[in-house]
Amino acid sequence: MKKELRVIFFLACLIVFLALIGCRSDRSSKASKGTGGLKKTYQIAVIPKGTTHEYWKAVEAGAIQAAQELGVEIFWKGPQKEDDRSQQIQVLEDFISRQVDGIVLAPLDDRALVRPVDEARAEGIPVVIIDSNLQGENYLSFIATDNYKGGVMAARRLAEVMGGKGKIFLIRYLEGSASTTFREQGFLDTVTKEYPGLELLVKDQYAGTTTESAYQLTENLLSRYPQVEGIFAPNESSTFGALRALQEAGLAGKIKFVGFDSSAKLIQALKDKELDGLVLQDPVKMGYLGVKTLVDYLQGKPVEKRIDTGVTLATPENMNQPEIKSLLEPDISKYVR
Amino acid sequence: MKITAGYSRLKKLTNLLGPFIGLILVISIFSLMPEVSGRFLRLANLTSVATQSVIVALSALGMTLIIISGGIDLSAASNLALSCVLVAYSINLGLSPLLAALIGLVAGGLIGLANGLLITRLRLVPFIVTLGMMGIARGIAKWVARNQKIDAPLTWLNDLMVRTPHPSWLLLSPGIWLMIFLSIIMAVVLKKTVFGRRVVAIGSNELTARLCGIRTDRIKIIVYTISGLFCGLAGVMEFSRLTVGDPTVAMGLELDIIAAVVIGGGSLSGGEGSISGTLIGVFIMAFLRNGCTMMGWPNYFQEIIIGAIIIIAVALDRLRHRQD
Repeated sequence: MKKELRVIFFLACLIVFLALIGCRSDRSSKASKGTGGLKKTYQIAVIPKGTTHEYWKAVEAGAIQAAQELGVEIFWKGPQKEDDRSQQIQVLEDFISRQVDGIVLAPLDDRALVRPVDEARAEGIPVVIIDSNLQGENYLSFIATDNYKGGVMAARRLAEVMGGKGKIFLIRYLEGSASTTFREQGFLDTVTKEYPGLELLVKDQYAGTTTESAYQLTENLLSRYPQVEGIFAPNESSTFGALRALQEAGLAGKIKFVGFDSSAKLIQALKDKELDGLVLQDPVKMGYLGVKTLVDYLQGKPVEKRIDTGVTLATPENMNQPEIKSLLEPDISKYVR
Repeated sequence: MKITAGYSRLKKLTNLLGPFIGLILVISIFSLMPEVSGRFLRLANLTSVATQSVIVALSALGMTLIIISGGIDLSAASNLALSCVLVAYSINLGLSPLLAALIGLVAGGLIGLANGLLITRLRLVPFIVTLGMMGIARGIAKWVARNQKIDAPLTWLNDLMVRTPHPSWLLLSPGIWLMIFLSIIMAVVLKKTVFGRRVVAIGSNELTARLCGIRTDRIKIIVYTISGLFCGLAGVMEFSRLTVGDPTVAMGLELDIIAAVVIGGGSLSGGEGSISGTLIGVFIMAFLRNGCTMMGWPNYFQEIIIGAIIIIAVALDRLRHRQD
């Protein structure tokens, strides 16, 4: 009696499970039919660092755009919990088991992902790295923003709006974060080399991962160095945190401020001239080129080892130009919900 | 209410049967999916799933003991992360890999011991003590690692969890062998030793157990310490896999560990559960994850399925109790 009941329960659950699978595979087969044709469609796994952030949605949009244009099938799948190195390794291993034709990976860690990528290579699966650096050599191509250049660009903009002289803060993001460290280095080098008139009041303070921690740090710095005239923050959360602190202190728009990356709130601040510049990356292009490069390789075309997706400066003056607008607010609704 | 030995054996069998059928169904469904049918049951994929299961399985062995004794350990995953960080830290100090692994193991044991002492000496509920310890251990891990991951040079420790072991006559990675070996030991301890019997007795009815002369506090402290050691070992394995010490690793993994025990027939009210059931629970979740990823299904889908399975398993547990 007990036994039967238990079996029935499990069967019921699995029927639901099967039904769901049915729905899914229906939809995906419809999606791939348009592009498929007779020849084999390549299956490419695209593994981001996380799946919920705006930034990764834009990368996904680019990847889907490339998949549609080139007629390949992509699997978009990140670690179940954002930023979980261990789970990203699992996802990678599972796609190796699936024997996909290629993998596009944004590694969460420059070390921890090296071995799984080596394994993919050993199984004959090519890997393209996007967004963040990976140690080792077992990948086809590395496609990312030139972060150092982004920092240089920010320094020049800040110097420009400050007339080449004044006291400034460099707010750092997080110890050990490679991409932002390059941005900070680019900023620092440019300021010390090209703009002797700029004096760095703070250059070794870290904002931490959240908007809240960046907010607090900036608040503390503002009360300690009220004479500050310009600020640079190297990513979205630190830019927004610093912006909030400036707004609270009534200093937004008075202190010159250059940030990095974009979001709805930062665009508004740019519009209100509370921000003097935002350095923008091109995540859509990153996702697009990731898939495109892999397909090029699979079709026997040569690929470059390092591809720069470019950085662009948005200012209150140029923000309404169409090409800047599309970077500030990438129109991704066509590809992802 | 006379229960014969034969009947109780049958009961144990049926308790295991449910989860086992679940596991078989999960495996057969994925192996029948046309997209992955040829690849899902490949040996390479099976060993890959087994390797992915090692960390949860090791921690779940200890958790099974705790849950049978009527307790719970929410600090398991944080404990694991602390051990992972300490191993990387010790290797960077120039200690030998073996010593570093031992430090990770002992740190896990100490956290477990602290849990046990706090629960028994202060008469606090395990849920609260281990909830607190979850934060403490995670905090220490981040402190030791100075809020970032620790890179450590590659050593033989990092070969424990590879998908294809060298030397190849091992067939499976050392981590998998360790999991099998320790599972057998724990199953024997639980079934055949006086200690195992006492753990079950405490979980079934602590008061009666104490009246029968069992030193319940001492048993509980041992149980939490053993569980802590398993978490420490799982942390060593996590380091082996990541090749870096990451203080944010395994965030929320304690819930997976508890879920594995519960799916395998462990009862949160204590007195019930088995090592084999727990392992089946671990594998059900591991195969589901693996299968969902291979199919390219989105994460939310896989989370919903695993959630549903947990509820169904507990519903079955209740049903079983009502009938007894």
